[in-house]
Amino acid sequence: MWIPAALAYRNGVRIIWEHRQVLRMLVLRDLQKQYTKFRLGYLWTLLEPLGMALVLWFVFTQLLGGQKLGLQPYFLFIAVGILPWWWFSRGVSRAARTFRRNPALLRMSVLPTKIWVIRVVLVAMAEYLLSLPVVLIAMLATRTLPGPLIVLFPVAIIVQFFLMYGLAMLIAAGAAVIPDLARIVRIVLRATFYLSPVLYSIANIPAGAQVIAAINPLVGILGLYRIGFWPTEIDSLPHYGISLGVTVAIFISGLVVFHRFEGRILKES
Amino acid sequence: MARQRLDPDLESMLLFTDVGINILKGRRRQGGGRRHRLRRFVGEQSRTGSWVLRGVSTQIAAGESVAVLGLKNSGRTEFLRLAAGTLIPDEGVVRRRAQVLPMIDLGRAFGRGFTVRQNIYLLGGLLGLTPDKVESALPEIVETARLAPNIDKYLRGASALTRQKLAWAIAMAVNAPVVVADEMLVVGDVEFRKRCLAHAERLRTAGTTFLVSTDVPRKFEGLFNRAIVLHNGGVVADGALADGLALLRELRLANTAAGTEKDDIR
Repeated sequence: MWIPAALAYRNGVRIIWEHRQVLRMLVLRDLQKQYTKFRLGYLWTLLEPLGMALVLWFVFTQLLGGQKLGLQPYFLFIAVGILPWWWFSRGVSRAARTFRRNPALLRMSVLPTKIWVIRVVLVAMAEYLLSLPVVLIAMLATRTLPGPLIVLFPVAIIVQFFLMYGLAMLIAAGAAVIPDLARIVRIVLRATFYLSPVLYSIANIPAGAQVIAAINPLVGILGLYRIGFWPTEIDSLPHYGISLGVTVAIFISGLVVFHRFEGRILKES
Repeated sequence: MARQRLDPDLESMLLFTDVGINILKGRRRQGGGRRHRLRRFVGEQSRTGSWVLRGVSTQIAAGESVAVLGLKNSGRTEFLRLAAGTLIPDEGVVRRRAQVLPMIDLGRAFGRGFTVRQNIYLLGGLLGLTPDKVESALPEIVETARLAPNIDKYLRGASALTRQKLAWAIAMAVNAPVVVADEMLVVGDVEFRKRCLAHAERLRTAGTTFLVSTDVPRKFEGLFNRAIVLHNGGVVADGALADGLALLRELRLANTAAGTEKDDIR
């Protein structure tokens, strides 16, 4: 456990802290750009997932009301799950464009190359944090309060950050070398949505398949997000362990691949 | 892990040891789109690597100001980027004693949707300045670029000339011991060029090391005391500026005679 922790510190905490000022500028700028583009600005960050959750809630409880999917109240269940999913899918698809967007920056900047990946990851995370009021709205709408295990919610955010960081390094480096990867990523994302327990709970799938499903790192992360509201989710704790292990593996391989490809990335700019 | 790892014990300012860089030339650089993709689809290797530079060994002492000369595609930009560390060599090592400021392609780093002030903080940050340093240099930068009344307006409408001036002013605020530059070192209208030159000269007498790639060394009026000529992936001449220029002229003539380089006149 020591090696991943040390790596996470050196490549995550320290690098961000050392370049916090430039990063803050870059992230604020990216957010600003998005929020000033539309009339409703920030409100879209709330309205989009809220609308999505509403649609899914309607389809799965009102139209297909028969099956017992996920946990009750289902609207809150969807809301808690859809936000991290959004973070995941946006982060991944943007990571593919990290080094295509502004190659001139790469050519003249003396900052470490990783900064550009971190920037993308942080923007996606900031958007997630800004969309969190959706959970509050869902709590109000369903009149549900979380239990003490809600303390695991921030833990889930940190774990997802490192998952996104590792994935972004893998994808950004890959896409800089093989442009086709950006397309492949989109298809894989589609599949991942249905393979991840966003609409359902891991407990909904056959017991034999649960172990295989847990290879998906989102299983553990979504579980951690939900434990606070549905303490029964703790029954799947061993599966979360598998997902967590995969997250660590992705992060480390991201670091290795990125380091290995850094020369190529710079050449392509 | 900064991109530039420094070697304080190094004798020279910059030391290239047997440096080689292999750049993939292919789809992106030469265009070609659909036909290329089709070729790749049938398995033809569309991106072949070529050694832009190979076996380059040279050192630049503190306080020297070196002109990097060469024909088109002779690897001058790559040479500069290797010096600044924005390119990692495939072979050999580049070692630096002090911080190197890359003044390459600066004008393109500005964000279109940002104000002048924001852009100054951004470019300054990218060049390694902390916000408080930018803040103290801010009045001088705006004054130099003549943008004082427009500091909170968007840079979008500004002319290319203004952008160049602004980029130059920001880069000069960095005050790095080594400056690696392309034509960016002297930009703008006649009056501003004079100002750039005077500033460069002042820096040189103060001990700054210069490494400048240029097509028109005359523009820099005796700033250089050494010239490196790159040709066919290697250093073909290294010495006095006059010798370098003479060799460059020969190379150009030979090339025009062979008809390989059509657009040498820029």
